[in-house]
Amino acid sequence: MLLHANGSRLLFKVVRNPSTNGHRRLLSTVHEDYDVVIVGGGPAGLALASALGSKNEFQNTLKIALVEAGDLSVVRDWSPPADTFSNRVVSLTNASQAFLKGTGSWDHIELHRTSPVEEMQVWDGISDARISFSSSEMVSSTTDHLGMARLIETLNLQRGLLRHLNSSPAVQIIDKNKVQSITVDEAPGSWPLVHLNTGQALKTRLLVGADGPNSPVRSFAKIPSYGWSYDTQAIVCTLDHPPKGPFLGPNTTAYQRFLPTGPVAFLPISTTASSLVWSTKPALATALKACEPSVLARMINAAFRLPDVSMQYLHERILEAHEAGKHITDEEISAEILWREQSHLIDSTSAYSSIIPDASPNSRIPPSDAEMVPPLVKSIQPGTVASFPLRYNHTETYVGEGQGSRTVLVGDAAHTIHPLAGQGLNLGLGDVECLSRCISEAVLRGGDIGSYTALLPYTQERYLQNHTIMSACDKLHKIYTTSFGPLVQLRSVGLEVLNELDSIKVAIMMSAGSVSRTDRPLSYNSDARAAMFNIAAQGVENINTVAHVAKVLRGGFEGLAVNVIQNLAKAATHYQQSRKDAS
Amino acid sequence: MFPTRLLRSSTVNASEIAHFSRLSAEWWNERGEFSFLHKMNPVRMQFIREKLIETAYDEQPEEAVDAKKVRILEGLDVLDVGCGGGLLSESLARLGAWTTGIDASESNVAIAQHHASLDSRVNSNLTYKHAPAESLLSQSKRYDVVCSMEVLEHVDNPVMFLKTCAELLKPSGHLFLSTISRTPLSYFLTIFMAEKVFREVADGTHTYSKYIKPSELLEFFQSYRSQLPSSVNGDGAQGQSRPWITRLYNGEPTRKEAEVRGMIYNPLSASWILAPRGAWGAAECNYLFWVRKPILDDIL
Repeated sequence: MLLHANGSRLLFKVVRNPSTNGHRRLLSTVHEDYDVVIVGGGPAGLALASALGSKNEFQNTLKIALVEAGDLSVVRDWSPPADTFSNRVVSLTNASQAFLKGTGSWDHIELHRTSPVEEMQVWDGISDARISFSSSEMVSSTTDHLGMARLIETLNLQRGLLRHLNSSPAVQIIDKNKVQSITVDEAPGSWPLVHLNTGQALKTRLLVGADGPNSPVRSFAKIPSYGWSYDTQAIVCTLDHPPKGPFLGPNTTAYQRFLPTGPVAFLPISTTASSLVWSTKPALATALKACEPSVLARMINAAFRLPDVSMQYLHERILEAHEAGKHITDEEISAEILWREQSHLIDSTSAYSSIIPDASPNSRIPPSDAEMVPPLVKSIQPGTVASFPLRYNHTETYVGEGQGSRTVLVGDAAHTIHPLAGQGLNLGLGDVECLSRCISEAVLRGGDIGSYTALLPYTQERYLQNHTIMSACDKLHKIYTTSFGPLVQLRSVGLEVLNELDSIKVAIMMSAGSVSRTDRPLSYNSDARAAMFNIAAQGVENINTVAHVAKVLRGGFEGLAVNVIQNLAKAATHYQQSRKDAS
Repeated sequence: MFPTRLLRSSTVNASEIAHFSRLSAEWWNERGEFSFLHKMNPVRMQFIREKLIETAYDEQPEEAVDAKKVRILEGLDVLDVGCGGGLLSESLARLGAWTTGIDASESNVAIAQHHASLDSRVNSNLTYKHAPAESLLSQSKRYDVVCSMEVLEHVDNPVMFLKTCAELLKPSGHLFLSTISRTPLSYFLTIFMAEKVFREVADGTHTYSKYIKPSELLEFFQSYRSQLPSSVNGDGAQGQSRPWITRLYNGEPTRKEAEVRGMIYNPLSASWILAPRGAWGAAECNYLFWVRKPILDDIL
């Protein structure tokens, strides 16, 4: 019926070339019509392609292309040895997993290369105030045990999505092709034209920007973005460590310590390997990266164990040596750490000691504090040390307008976030889930999926949700890295810190629900009662969440006030005491 | 300056295209004067879709119905009376219908044609005509589905108009209407608030006295009978079918004959909601109406 719906069309453009003054050049541009063109082959772009491609009813309805500058065969053919792991590991919440299971891509993921998170230990670097939470605290509507989240290499996820896409003929993958430019006719309602560097051009009803923090699609659509860079770099690498001893649980506990330089996180990926994300000052990150791997390993062990004073001292030593162009040797750093441990009275049998016990771990009873800190890192997998800068960014909207209409942003193109709660990719997958739901709804109602009307529910649903989690993480980072006197004092008191740590819990638990949102209706989908109920429930939910975050933060400030009053009272008592003594 | 854009059709001159695309920008400006219609469109389409699936379930074995099929109107002849800029027509065409959109305004038709030409998915099974509905009666072509959305409140002779729409249907065809009821609420919302206070809709768009209540539509179709085609009756005598609506139960028609559904605007999410069947007070303002022409057996 639609004879030329999928056919390509030859278009001759008559262009007046100003440089040749009046001489006309005849250019020919062959372009093909698509319904959806996704720019970016990262996890978000691939997840959207596989979600749309997995719907049988769209097989003959939607023509989808995914454009990626890099070579995706590298991802497709990725087959590392079983005990080595990529340095980019992400935590997938149960909601994200449910979405991937729903589209069918989860079946293509190598599950034995992933690890569930059953428990999290989070503590403050100065006061050692600690909070731990485990998957048993989570409310689950299903009886099967899901864990709190699952840690997975980004490459494992991407490869799974690509394998899943093999079974979706509707999606055409165009890799090794850079987007050179995006143009649009001036006439209203025109479709964007994506020019690739191979000369190919794709005209599309809907253009999806899944092209990362420096999104070219976002600049084409002229969507303003608001944010700042943190004065922070995140060091990542894969750590090797001995398996946990016989009286300890499996390696399924994630650890995060908030140092004043930034949080350091230990994420288990197998029984003998874990991933590190260490956010710290840029200069320090450069110096640490330049160290011998064995020195870095010792520094990582110290970062989870030594009191902050000693960490500050070690940081200075590393920085001095780096500036002097020298490198601290393994012997030097281990001597420093040993001396520090002794002066802090850390027992050599304690889990806080950096001494790896000689006897095999199976033959001894673990120290009582063994679960308080991650296992001792023995070595760093070669070639896995890398770092990247951290930014906070949120666009003003997710849907383009005017000349940039028919454009929508997902994932990092729309928002980037501090990795301290491990939510970045989960927000992206939340976007993808919602957008694919929006597209399905519009298609079934004969709507134009590139239209503002069809895309509006996507922005409406996602913007506030993303913003809530993003600002919670941002505030946490700021509370912990500030040098603002009262806050530092407040932090050092310790008790109040628990409140703040609690909001990490909120951030993680908020989207950790095990219920898939795929079947949740858009507001115009269901009947009014259900929709009204949903709106009301969502409102309550949002207010609740916001209130909770606000409560947690306010709790901190109330604590501050209490602290000030206590200090005043102390000072008064002290004054009275001294007067008594004097008299 | 030379136009760098390809002119799609050699018979249309460039200044006209510019003119129509400017007008088209208004009809198709989703944030402009017609934004309410744009937001209403998914709800109307949802109603059409659900109603057709419901009747399919009534008439076919369950396994033969694919409720998730996108091109649910595939192979059906669908007429959109008063198509305007083609908002509904394009959606109908995307669901596979052989769609004809007609409008009394020549410029509307040109706008609709221009806009459809931008979308390769719809322009092969979508045609527009500048014609009043009455002019189609003289042709032999009849339709499986006739839609007329937000038109009834603008016509001068609603009885004539309804008869025309009804006669343009094939036996067992579906008639979908949407309009505004004549109630204090509808006056308040569609005229006082929309036109006078917020000026979302141009002043004078609506006339209160032309609004039609759902009960009046039901009443009309309780007495309306299709004319038998003369070929059916051998002796040439003009017979009549049963009335389109045989009985009301508590003021409601039976599910297989007709249906009234309210549409409620939710200002918080800026979207329309299709009210559930029989929701109290939902059809006090904007509502959708569906009625089915009796099948040929009933006529005989």
